[in-house]
Amino acid sequence: MVLNSLGFVLFFGVLFALYYSPFKPKWNFQNVLLVVASYVFYALGDWRFAPLLLGSTVLYFGLGLAVQKSEGTKWAIRYTNFAVVLGIGLLIYFKYFDFFIDSFASLLRGVGLDVSWTTLNIIVPLGISYFTFKLISYVVEIHRGKLEATHDFVGFSAYVSFFPTIVSGPIDKPNGFLPQLSERRSFNYAQAVDGCRQILWGLAQKTLIADGIAGTISHVWSDVPGASGSSLVFAALLFAVQLYTDFAGYSHMAIGVGKVLGFRIASNFQYPFFATSIAEFWRKWHMSLTSWLTEYVFMPLNIKFRNLGKKGMMLAIVINLLVVGMWHGANWTFFVFGLFHGLLFIPSISKGSFFKKKKLKPNKWGLPTPKDFGKMVGVFLLIAASLILFRAPDIQTAADFVKGMFSPSLLSLPYGAMELMGALFFMAVFFAVEWKLRKKEHPFVGLQDKWNTAGRWALYLGLVVLIILYSGGEQEFIYQQF
Amino acid sequence: MNQTEILSQITDVFREILDEDALVLEASTTAQDVEDWDSLTHIVLVVGIEERFKIKFGSKEILAWKNVGEMCASVSEKL
Repeated sequence: MVLNSLGFVLFFGVLFALYYSPFKPKWNFQNVLLVVASYVFYALGDWRFAPLLLGSTVLYFGLGLAVQKSEGTKWAIRYTNFAVVLGIGLLIYFKYFDFFIDSFASLLRGVGLDVSWTTLNIIVPLGISYFTFKLISYVVEIHRGKLEATHDFVGFSAYVSFFPTIVSGPIDKPNGFLPQLSERRSFNYAQAVDGCRQILWGLAQKTLIADGIAGTISHVWSDVPGASGSSLVFAALLFAVQLYTDFAGYSHMAIGVGKVLGFRIASNFQYPFFATSIAEFWRKWHMSLTSWLTEYVFMPLNIKFRNLGKKGMMLAIVINLLVVGMWHGANWTFFVFGLFHGLLFIPSISKGSFFKKKKLKPNKWGLPTPKDFGKMVGVFLLIAASLILFRAPDIQTAADFVKGMFSPSLLSLPYGAMELMGALFFMAVFFAVEWKLRKKEHPFVGLQDKWNTAGRWALYLGLVVLIILYSGGEQEFIYQQF
Repeated sequence: MNQTEILSQITDVFREILDEDALVLEASTTAQDVEDWDSLTHIVLVVGIEERFKIKFGSKEILAWKNVGEMCASVSEKL
């Protein structure tokens, strides 16, 4: 079940009615409802791995208590290491084992050895990349003394399996989320309205832009050798926008659903295409993943390598970005994607500009200065170029895609350009709105202060009508596959 | 060296590295309270403090600090 389906509306309606029923259920009963709803949601997506989710929740709940009880002894370190190794082990087994077998067999064949190993065709459990990270950080935070182990198993299960975020994030850290589960959530009208507006904003960008351009992009990618140079360039640029509006759209919807249920969920995007450097882009893109990796990969490595000065930091950032790349899946394309981004950081670390957070100073018309705009375009082009690797099924196809871009047909009309006029118009409006309201969590925050009731409802209804008109069948979210 | 002197020297290091002359630190100050203090500048600040006091922190110690006060306490233990 996906968040942008009618089935979800029905599912959420039932939960909402019980969760805020006039009988005023206590906080622990609300948590029971959340756990039941989350497991139903998860099982509807892929029931085969619900026991894995439950089993790992039980185990990490126990490990958290064990670490706290044995703090100050060697056992605390052993339990923490076990939690980290087990979490990474689960990820390696389910996500990367086939890849290792395949790569190792190719390597042996490359040196002339006759191997007939076959992969195990392991199925990746839904949401494993998200819930494993939550479980690891829970135990590590207890060991670092930054979190008390919880004795409330139901609350802990609600945190791990929380249905709005289980399949695609954002990845909430336990320190901010668990305390929210220890008190009753009463219906907060202002927060719920804000949540609904955020859902609408997310759904609009997903349906009107991401889904609107998805068909054209898929068509071009389905026949890279046969596509014209201009179509390849067009598809590469569009994919950057598709990935953003698809994933940010999902994140807005998940955060919005969380708000209606009384939760504050971590942000995932902060208008990344207005970044004027790659470092700034990564501070604004998939923030819940990058901040998790910063905390548990980059920081420890950076501390370890600190005596090497800037070289140590370069090494830490390259490793961190390789992990970011490989987190997406077992494919050399993601490895090269991560390496490419890691290497992009080197000039700014070497110059020292890496640490400086430059604030945008718009001109008197409220627009970016030509210099800043040029940098934004530069960052966008670098991102779009690197996403060719992200989208490609293998390195060879990515190379063919890039080669094809520079063919004489570069000057022809790209495939789908005329049909996409509507989506391109929505895209222009979308980025103009984002720019104007870029200081807000989402553009509809505080709408009631500027628009009267009639104007607001006209906006909501207008968007709903457009969403219905443009929804061409259910489109899954891209990040669900990770 | 007492806690006030340690805090004052740490404040100097922060001001130099973050290029913020008016910055005031207290024991309860956290990274959330200082605009440019993030995971990237954090390590530069740590190295700056190590050099200033000629000490070396352990990795676990650095990762466990919750505020400037705990940073000062770590320095104080090593002097």
